[in-house]
Amino acid sequence: MTFLEVVEGPLWYLSATIFVIGAAWKVLGILRLGRKRDLSIPRASASIGAFKAQFLHFVPHGGFTFRTIYHLVAGYMFHIGLFVVMLFAAPHISFIQGNIINLEWTPLPYWGFIVAAQFAFAGLILLWVRRISDPVMIKISDRDDHIGSWLTFLVMLTGCMALQESVEALRATHMLLVDLWLIYFPFSRLMHAVTFAFSRGYTGAFFGRRGIVP
Amino acid sequence: MRGTATLRLTRLLGFAGILLWGLSVSPVQAESPNSVRLSTPDQVQSDGTVPGNVLGNTSDADFWRGVNHGEVGKVSIPDKKAAVMINRTGETWRNVRTGPVMLWGGLLIGGALLSVVGFGIVYGKFKLHGPRTGRVIPRFSQPERWVHWFVAGLFMILGLSGLVIMFGRTVLKPIIGADALSIMANASLQAHNLLGPIFIVALVIMLVLYLKDNIYQNGDFVWAFKGGFFSSHHPPSWKYNLGEKSWYWLLFFAGGAISVSGVVLIFPTLPGDVQGLQLSQIVHVVSAIALISASLGHIYLGVWGVEGALDSMTLGYVDETWGLEHHRWWAELEIKKDHLVEGAPDAVLAANKAENS
Repeated sequence: MTFLEVVEGPLWYLSATIFVIGAAWKVLGILRLGRKRDLSIPRASASIGAFKAQFLHFVPHGGFTFRTIYHLVAGYMFHIGLFVVMLFAAPHISFIQGNIINLEWTPLPYWGFIVAAQFAFAGLILLWVRRISDPVMIKISDRDDHIGSWLTFLVMLTGCMALQESVEALRATHMLLVDLWLIYFPFSRLMHAVTFAFSRGYTGAFFGRRGIVP
Repeated sequence: MRGTATLRLTRLLGFAGILLWGLSVSPVQAESPNSVRLSTPDQVQSDGTVPGNVLGNTSDADFWRGVNHGEVGKVSIPDKKAAVMINRTGETWRNVRTGPVMLWGGLLIGGALLSVVGFGIVYGKFKLHGPRTGRVIPRFSQPERWVHWFVAGLFMILGLSGLVIMFGRTVLKPIIGADALSIMANASLQAHNLLGPIFIVALVIMLVLYLKDNIYQNGDFVWAFKGGFFSSHHPPSWKYNLGEKSWYWLLFFAGGAISVSGVVLIFPTLPGDVQGLQLSQIVHVVSAIALISASLGHIYLGVWGVEGALDSMTLGYVDETWGLEHHRWWAELEIKKDHLVEGAPDAVLAANKAENS
């Protein structure tokens, strides 16, 4: 069994299992924490507030736009770029079809992939630069934040290095890092990809109940 | 019995006859019934005419020599460049790239590295002469710092991947072998091409942000004439001294050349002909070598060589002592402005250095 077969075979299934079970376990843990009973008289629906918050929080409140413009733009560049690359790159679609679900959809053209990847790279680097140069961000960032950023960066970088699909070792390196990323995901702040919805829901319900637009 | 013996004798004689006939035929004749035996050089080629008049009367050698020297033929298609079968400029480009560019480029980068190490050993770290005051002045705004580190990060990746592409065969192949180099070069090329365009955008933003204070002005040469870095007491300067301004303009021109030539290399149809591509490649490499060599000095002085310099790019503030010692004219103006920095977290972090030093 070659190294590539290991990282795309047993190690892939192991890491994907840890990813799914770990993430589900963490979500269950959060849900089981529950919340204190709110004794205030509801002025509006908490559920509607929670629902609204899911969408309203995609953009900052008017008064904060200028202060958050940097990480707003960088954040969208990174996340949109990453999801486009992850879901619409031809090698990724082929891998998903072979290993996860046998569905077909149209891949991006090569130039589209390049543009999306460049957006993702620029966004991620800008976010990390902010993390190391903003005095507040320096203080509140810990090892987990940096490991998550760097691991994601390396996954993306090795993926791009393997773009030509002519060298097996590069593809294997990329897959190894993908496997490590999946294993690290449930135990780190990378979980924000899942927990953001709960966070927004909680905040939205809290303010919604009080009749405030979340 | 007698009849059998006669038959055997007939067969033997017949076989011997065939064998003798076969040996009498020369190897040349055996290979091709139409080939010509060429026994002397004069016969081999005489004024481009091939003796024998069997395969035409023009020498193939002359024909291919002409092709190899870039002879222009005739084509009926619109692309007249197709009339040249072999473009000789490719060989010239290859010789320049693998010859003087690689030799002098390698020497320049190696020399710069040795100079920085030697400078560090001889001069060590430029420490502050006076104690820190705990009062700080702003030096780099947050956008300036963000774009600087963004460009710096990309520069490192592009520089290293570019060095692998350029010098890998000479430097790395004997150490790691051809297979490993092939993988590294392949990966480097992909990363280089993908991240290059981002670097161009970031570089333009950075050059615009830093332009205002990097225009040469009266007094810049005073810093140089009084010894610059080599002076024991720091000569006065504006926000950036002559060395820093020169680094900016090197980045401006060499970075610009790298960007333009890089775009041409990514979109090879842009220049219209292969000579344009070859020129772009040489410009790209020469500019990159110049930037990489100079960047070694910049990195050394910014990160380790000058006490307090790194704070300016991480926290954005410098202690008044640092400002007055390194950039007196600029610091005096900034102190007069009496910036309200109290409470700004980065300013507090910078000011705390006075307590810890």
